[in-house]
Amino acid sequence: MIIIGERINGMFRDIAKAIREKDPKPVQEWAQKQEAMGAGYLDLNVGPAVPERVPAMKWLVEVAQEASKLPLCLDSTDYDAIEAGLEVCKQPAMINSVPAIADKMDRVFTLAQKFDAEVIGLAMSEEGIPKDAESRVALSMELVANCDAYGVPVDRLYIDPLVLPANVGQDHGPEVFETLRQIKLLSDPPPKTTVGLSNISQGTKNRELLNRTFAVMAMACGLDSAIADACDEELVAAVATARVILNMDIYCDSYVDVFRNQNL
Amino acid sequence: MAVEIMKEKYRSSVREVVLGATKDEGGTRSHTIKVGGETTLPFLHFEGDIPNRPVVAMEVWDVVPEDWPASVKGFFEDVYNDPAAWAKKCVDEYGADMIALRFKSADPDLKDASAEDCVPTLKKVLEAVGVPLIVYGCGKTEKDNNIIGPLAEAAEGENLLLGVAEQENFKPVASAAMASKHSVIAQSPIDINIAKQLNILISELSTPLLERIVIDPTIAALGYGIEYSYSIMERARFGALNGDRMLAMPMIGNVSQEVWSKKEAFLEEGEPTWGDQAERSLAWEAATSMALLQAGMDILVMRNPESVKIVKKQIDDLMQDNSY
Amino acid sequence: MGLTGLEIFKHLPKTNCKECGFPTCLAFAMALANGKTSLDQCPDVSEEAKEALSSAAAPPIRLVKIGTGDKVIEIGDETEIFRHDKRFNHPTAVTIAVNDNEDVGTKVETVNELVFERVGQRYEVDMVAIINASGDAATFKTAAETAAAKTDKNITLVTDDVGAMEAALGVVADRKPLIYAADKDNYEKMTELAKANGCTLAVKGEDLNSLAELVDKVVALGYKELVIDPGSRETSKVLADMTQIRRLAVRKKFRSFGYPTIAFTTKEDLREEMLQAGVYISKFSGIVVLKTDKKEHLMPLLSWRENLFTDPQKPVAVEPGLHEVGEPTADSPVYITTNFSLTYFLVEGEIDSTRIPSYIISVDTGGISVLTAYADNKFTAEKIAADIKALGLEDKVNHKKAVIPGGVAVLKGKLEDESGWDILVGPREANGIQKFAKSNFA
Repeated sequence: MIIIGERINGMFRDIAKAIREKDPKPVQEWAQKQEAMGAGYLDLNVGPAVPERVPAMKWLVEVAQEASKLPLCLDSTDYDAIEAGLEVCKQPAMINSVPAIADKMDRVFTLAQKFDAEVIGLAMSEEGIPKDAESRVALSMELVANCDAYGVPVDRLYIDPLVLPANVGQDHGPEVFETLRQIKLLSDPPPKTTVGLSNISQGTKNRELLNRTFAVMAMACGLDSAIADACDEELVAAVATARVILNMDIYCDSYVDVFRNQNL
Repeated sequence: MAVEIMKEKYRSSVREVVLGATKDEGGTRSHTIKVGGETTLPFLHFEGDIPNRPVVAMEVWDVVPEDWPASVKGFFEDVYNDPAAWAKKCVDEYGADMIALRFKSADPDLKDASAEDCVPTLKKVLEAVGVPLIVYGCGKTEKDNNIIGPLAEAAEGENLLLGVAEQENFKPVASAAMASKHSVIAQSPIDINIAKQLNILISELSTPLLERIVIDPTIAALGYGIEYSYSIMERARFGALNGDRMLAMPMIGNVSQEVWSKKEAFLEEGEPTWGDQAERSLAWEAATSMALLQAGMDILVMRNPESVKIVKKQIDDLMQDNSY
Repeated sequence: MGLTGLEIFKHLPKTNCKECGFPTCLAFAMALANGKTSLDQCPDVSEEAKEALSSAAAPPIRLVKIGTGDKVIEIGDETEIFRHDKRFNHPTAVTIAVNDNEDVGTKVETVNELVFERVGQRYEVDMVAIINASGDAATFKTAAETAAAKTDKNITLVTDDVGAMEAALGVVADRKPLIYAADKDNYEKMTELAKANGCTLAVKGEDLNSLAELVDKVVALGYKELVIDPGSRETSKVLADMTQIRRLAVRKKFRSFGYPTIAFTTKEDLREEMLQAGVYISKFSGIVVLKTDKKEHLMPLLSWRENLFTDPQKPVAVEPGLHEVGEPTADSPVYITTNFSLTYFLVEGEIDSTRIPSYIISVDTGGISVLTAYADNKFTAEKIAADIKALGLEDKVNHKKAVIPGGVAVLKGKLEDESGWDILVGPREANGIQKFAKSNFA
């Protein structure tokens, strides 16, 4: 599973301050820290308290890619900000995200086609997040069909079946796993999958334990990536272990180190 | 329906390892040899680069090989007693790309030669040929640990390929390589997990050494388990192309050493359906090499000049471009 | 797996007419992918869609047969690019070419003699290919007849001349030979002949595109018992083409290439030809046709084929019991090992190299290695002692000494108790046997 490092988010005080003061240092330090822990992408989110999202996203992209060679995941509901970010990305990026709503899919898949970007698609509609797997899969199919119609390769689409916290949406858990399995049958090549991992433990105790347990269970159902805390050592070790168990990486005694050090 | 050619695009490539060193680089070789560097599976030029052709190293011993079959003795009878002349013959007459020098005299059961005894031979062979060298001990770990350091030191700067580092015993050879600027053969017993771990252990000793490792997965002869080695090699090579940095090294195989101990290679009589020993032996050796090349072998260590000849010819053919 | 939701959706009219009972074409496509409805529910689906859907359920590479009876050759039905992902199913059919204008009878007899036994297996060549080198139909017919009379091996008939093929079929059709080949000029008539005689038909293209086109034409004539030839003849090109065909068939379900392949060697030098054939066996050829009739070349090729096509998931076992190395006498040493092939043959090979005739007891551990079997309680003192008795060693040798592998030295005491024999602890690795034998039995 590829970890999309979640730390560069304006909801964290140090990042919000950095954006406000145009101070690259905190952003670049977190970029490098997450890279050193084996992250595959860096998520960039300007956060809720930024008045001008377009220049803020542009700045985050420029500053992050100076410090790290990892591909970037542009996280915003403001598609103008996403577009501005894509324009200055040095390598193809990921757009986070688009729901299965017609006009939004139109905008985002057009951007993806133009900038050769990957796309995170959310299995939700105007009516919100459905519960049962069948409905989630139907929404996923909408995303797949639209992605394909806009000429974006379906394996550059990452579908997020949408995770709810274990203490709130506990009955969604099994539905999410079933959705992950069925998504792989939608097309050939199938779309990829992702989740916002921290969502499973929002407002609960044992946050890290919940996060890493969910991660390995989901990997067994075909989860390809997750937006998560790349600096959580135990999470990284659990993911490395699951990859070996799933025959995705060849075992060696130092397999945790190898996975963690993959960017060095 | 029109055919859409399928070209794989891999994430990563096999490391390129340079063997030998010329005068400018601190050695005395007439040229260096590069192995590895592939960006796709064996010989699939249509979808990637295969910058270096696989090479053949011929074996030279520092004792007369009593057990070699009569059919092969004829090629080397005049030079068996002189490793330098033997090496020269292999290069000049038989087209060896490299020489694999085995210090069998160090074997406690043979001559129990010391490092001091072996060094002059190494120097003479270095003088006799301009090709890069592979240097093996006698095959007995304890003794080899004693001689590899002095041998490495005596040839400092030549960038020899030193054999062998194993999981339970990698420090002597790896340290010798570090200290005297040589490359290392990392040998594992038909076990891909150990192969990977060994490279990690060597890299912990010295990170730069990672760029100078050649993997010996240990090959079993054709008919004696070659398919285990073959599949390990295919898995390792596929991993190398898909981001597994710790298996992204060129590979070496001791073809003749494995093949020649088998009945099919040496048996003269007793099996009426088996045909002529000389022809069969060279065919068994060459066919083993053929199979290993298809799994990504970069250096083949061989003995019979006739096998070497046809294997090199096949390598010429396989290196022809096949783009669409 | 049949078509995916997206693939089905692409074949639908996308009118959302709801006649099928689903609100959208997308929903119908998903339901169909999950087997919850049938294609005939849609009033507007094309013939192409129907064809695509039915063929999607078929295996990626067709299984075809050549010949009849218990020697029938089956090739095709492959699903893998790498043997380690699962296994390769049907070993390459090794075929020796005989020109119709040479001494066919003698050559065929030579081919019949190409039988080898090693490691408890019997290897032979699968087919004889009669080549219409003379260009003459009558000569070709005679050659086919002679060959058929002199061998019970399966036959391939090689000519592009329909008249010659018809003549030869007139005398050997009952052997269900492979008809090689239909090309862009003769395919209509060749397909007719193949159909009429129930024989597998080879289809030869000049390159991958022309091959695909021609295969489609033959299939349109209603025949699918096919073997395909991409037309390339240089080692590197053949490797590329065979790789493309296997990839396209297995990964893209490209139906035009969903058939086993045939390759021909071209090297003049027989040694070089052997290596060329080896590459083709390694890489995806269902049939390889070569000229050499030398035992020394075919033995390694057939052994390699055997090795390549073993199932990586099944440990290969040898017949458990008493084996002899050389001609052992009453004084000869007795070694004990398991019946895992790799172990057994390594040990046997090393014992062979000692030049001391010996006995080997291969204990039935279900084909697993020494240490694994010991850990699994399948290689125990009781079992070994029982084997010593049951195999009558006490009548065969005048001593009571046996060697156990060094890895299970712990068994020595118990085995001595159980068997009443003296147990010598041998080396841990097979390559220590030579030295061990020298010290103990020389």
